[in-house]
Parts: sequence; C-alpha cells; structure tokens
Amino acid sequence: MKLRSISYLSKEGVKNMWSNRLMTIASIGVLVACMVLIGLAVLISLNVNKALDGLEQQNVIRVYFHDKTSVIYGNASEKYDPEDFKDTSSDDPSSKETSSETEDGDTTSSDATASATEEELIDPDDIPEDAYIIHNDEEARALCDKLAKIENVLKVEYISAEDALKDIKENGQIPDNAVEHFGFDDEYGNPLSCGARITLSDMSLFDETLEKIEKTKGVDAVQSQSELAEKITAIEEGIGIAGIWIIAILLIISLVIVSNTIRVTMYSRKLEISIMKAVGATNSFIRLPFVIEGVMIGLVSAVISMGILYFCYRVAMEAISGALGMADTIAFITVAPQIFGIFAAIGVLSGIVGSAIMIRKYLKKEGSEFTAI
Amino acid sequence: MVGASGAGKSTFMKLIVREEKANAGSLWVNGFNLMKIKNKQVPLLRRTMGIVFQDFRLIPTMSVFENVAFAMHVVGADRRKIRRDVSAVLSMVGLGNKARSMPGQLSGGEQQRVGLARALVNRPSLIIADEPTGNVDPNLSYDIVAKLTEINKQGTTILMVTHDHNLVRDFQHRVIMLEEGRIVADNAAGGGNI
Repeated sequence: MKLRSISYLSKEGVKNMWSNRLMTIASIGVLVACMVLIGLAVLISLNVNKALDGLEQQNVIRVYFHDKTSVIYGNASEKYDPEDFKDTSSDDPSSKETSSETEDGDTTSSDATASATEEELIDPDDIPEDAYIIHNDEEARALCDKLAKIENVLKVEYISAEDALKDIKENGQIPDNAVEHFGFDDEYGNPLSCGARITLSDMSLFDETLEKIEKTKGVDAVQSQSELAEKITAIEEGIGIAGIWIIAILLIISLVIVSNTIRVTMYSRKLEISIMKAVGATNSFIRLPFVIEGVMIGLVSAVISMGILYFCYRVAMEAISGALGMADTIAFITVAPQIFGIFAAIGVLSGIVGSAIMIRKYLKKEGSEFTAI
Repeated sequence: MVGASGAGKSTFMKLIVREEKANAGSLWVNGFNLMKIKNKQVPLLRRTMGIVFQDFRLIPTMSVFENVAFAMHVVGADRRKIRRDVSAVLSMVGLGNKARSMPGQLSGGEQQRVGLARALVNRPSLIIADEPTGNVDPNLSYDIVAKLTEINKQGTTILMVTHDHNLVRDFQHRVIMLEEGRIVADNAAGGGNI
C-alpha cells in the first residue's frame, strides 16, 4: 500500500472515531475501567511482593559455628532459647536431651554435643585444638565466605561471639536464671559461639538451601523458621496466579469491547464500504481505517488509565500508610513505564486483533455485496 | 438493458462486477476472464469500470468534491492529480460550481450527476449504470442520459439498465431485452424499436 494511502486512511480512522464519538467514548470508558483494574492488580501484587520480600529479609537463618565454646557448652542453638529455661527447678538440666526440634516446632538444629550446665562444663584448657573446627576469627570469616557461595544465599553476616552476647543482652532475651544456668560473666566467660546470619534470596528453595548450610563443615547448629518461609512462598504463588487470571480475564473483556465498537462502526459505515468496493478498493485498504480506529481507542484508553491509576494509587497509599503506618510502598513513577507499556500493548493488541476479526467477518458476509445494501 | 422485474438484470450486473460467480459458460470483462479470476484481482477488475447507482450512494458527511475524490483515494492517486481530475470531471457533468456543496443541498438530478462524476473520475473503459434515472425527475432524466451519451461518444462503453421506455425510444442505442434470465431481443444494429 502506498504511503499517501496510509496517511489518508489514518486520517479516516481518526475521523471515524469522531463521527462515532458516543460509541468511541463508551468503549474508551469500559477499556479504561479494565486497564485501571489490571493496573491495580499489578500494583497490589507488586506491593505485596515487596512487603513479603521485607519479611523474607527478616526471616534469616541463624548459624552457629563449631568453635571452642560450642564444645564447652554443647549445641549452640540450644543455649539461648528462652523457652527452655522458664522453669529450671523442675527440669534437671543434666538429663536434658538435645533435640532437633523445640516445642514450638520452628527451630531445627544439627547434631549437638551435650547440654550445658555449670556442673558439667569442661575446663577450656583441657580441650584439644582438633576437637573443634573454627579456631579464630579468620577461620570464621573464611567459613562465612564459603557459606556465601552456596546457591540461593543472598547475604552472610558474620557475628562474633561478643556481638552475639551484646545482641542478646540488648534485646533482653536472657532469662532471669540464665546467669546461673550458663554462668554468664563468670569465670567461663561468654557462652556463645561465633556464627552468622544468613539471608536467602528465594524462600521457595528454603529446605534445599538449609540442608546445604547444615552440611557445610564448621557449621555446628542452625536456627530457622521454615514454616514462615513456606507461608510466604504460598502467598507469593497465590498472588501470582490470581494476578495472571485477573489480567487474562480483563484482556478478553477488552478484546470483546474493541471488537464490538469496530463492528458498530463498520455497520454505520456500510455506505462507504460499499462504495470502496465498487471503485476497486482492496480489502486491506478497507480494513486499515478500522484497525487505526481500534488502535487509537486503545492508546487513548491507555493514557487516560495511567492518569486515573496514578490518582487512585496515590489516594490508596495515603490511606494505607496513614492507617497502618506502612511507609515502604512502591513509588508509582518507578513502575509507571512498565505499566504504561502493558496498557499500550493491551490497547494496540486489542485494537488490531479485535478489528481484524470483525472486518474479516463483515467483509466475508454483508460486505461482499455492494450493488444492493 | 431492459426487462421486467425479476428478469435477471441485476444478476447480470452482479456477474459483470464479480459480486456473483457464474457457475457455467464463459464471461470476459475488460480483458479479465471472470470464470478464472482470483479474489485478489477483483479490485483490479473493478478499477476498470465505473458504477452509477440508482440511489446515488453519496456519503452525506462529505462534500461533492470529497465524494468524487474518495474514488481516487481508493486507487492511491496523489493529491495534485485528485484536485485536477475531480475539478475537471465536475465541470464535465456541469457541477463545477457545486464542489463545496454537501449532497443534501443538491437536487436528485444533481446528486446523480455527482454519482456519475465519481464513476468517471478514474477514467474507466466501462460504465455500469443501474437505473440511473430511477430516483430523478423525468425531465432531468434526459439530462443524465444525454451526459451518458456524450461520454459514450468519447469512447467509454455504457451499460445502462432502465425501465423507462421513453428514454429507450428517444435515445437511439443498442437495446438488450431480458426475460427470465435470457436475452429475448438484441438490436445490435442500434435503434430502440423493441
């Protein structure tokens, strides 16, 4: 088709929109509604994902290394679970078994040595060098580097025994009887092992990654919350699936709307089409103004939708952050180009596909006759 | 071409413009074999002819000039040629001063002359006129047919379907009469004595 024909037909397409303006406005309205809903679905799922990411970041795996302290006091992860020390009078510490799971079920730990009591504590000087794996800071940091190389590990943060004790004291996690129980600040010094805080990048691979961490040489014990990881993964998957369905359904609705508008336009332009056919217009020549009209409707809808979405999102975010104190939401401007891309794609696609289907149908049936209309 | 209603005049025209396909026989129009023509070639066939409709078929939202120019846009003519040819053909049908009028402002006879101008503007070798005087005042009908005769003299074949026996009698041309889908009379030599 010649260039001047294309420019002529483009003008015709825009004129069509104007001469069928009521129908055009109606379809732009419905299309805008669809697009705004799609945009909101996208924004909500992005925000929920971001919030879940935050939770994931907090859901760290605490690792204790196999150092001298862990030989003295036994399994590190057992050492400061406050739940264990609520009632020591009825609980004979010496008979306490090491377990891989505590009462609340969310703590897992690797094989432990022995539980720690003051009476059973070994004299640090009696422990030979080869009884433990991590002897100093450098070795601990090397182990951290090794852990960081495990697949799906996002971040490894080294925590020295001193820092760990400081943390615990600051957080007030030490039970009242912990001093006598563990002998904090007594001649044995700090009962905590050095270790690391590990953040994962993908929670759905939690179990596999945890296993790899546990198997790493030098890791004595691991504390984690696998249930939370499972829940987060499930929520993320659910939102993903729901989002895809919403978008698919709204896409189909958009397509139907544009097709219908084009159909109405086509019937209202029966006369022009019959004349075009009579003077020897090709089918593609007849088709182009309608396709352009469909695409224009789609693009105009995309622009309007962006404006409405921006406004809705701002109002919603102000309300939410006011009510929940959630300040950490996604800024509209950072996702605006992608969302506009989605809208424009929906508009252009539904314009092209919708009008192409309708015109094909029309030209095959009613439009094939032109001597009598 | 004359004949009673249902004689097959419209079907004959539909066959010529390839709106209908013939199922037997042979049919050649302007060098195209319509028994074998491909769908893609149909627009090319139609560009070799101009069609004048009984109901004028003018687009009410376009001016007289635009209505005629429309036929040229369809075949991809450039703007300068469109301006030149449309003006020329409008002068030829006597509507040079009505180029900017809208169809609704014209009489039936004038509207049909716009229709004629549109059929002519692409210089077809065949004009098909389906009862062109059907919706026009009898005294203006003569104008239309006179115009067609003039065009015919310049070398364009005219196929006109009509019910008006006065026109047939007064303009001496070849007359084909159809009855139940068959030619029952054809004064190939000319003279309207049927």
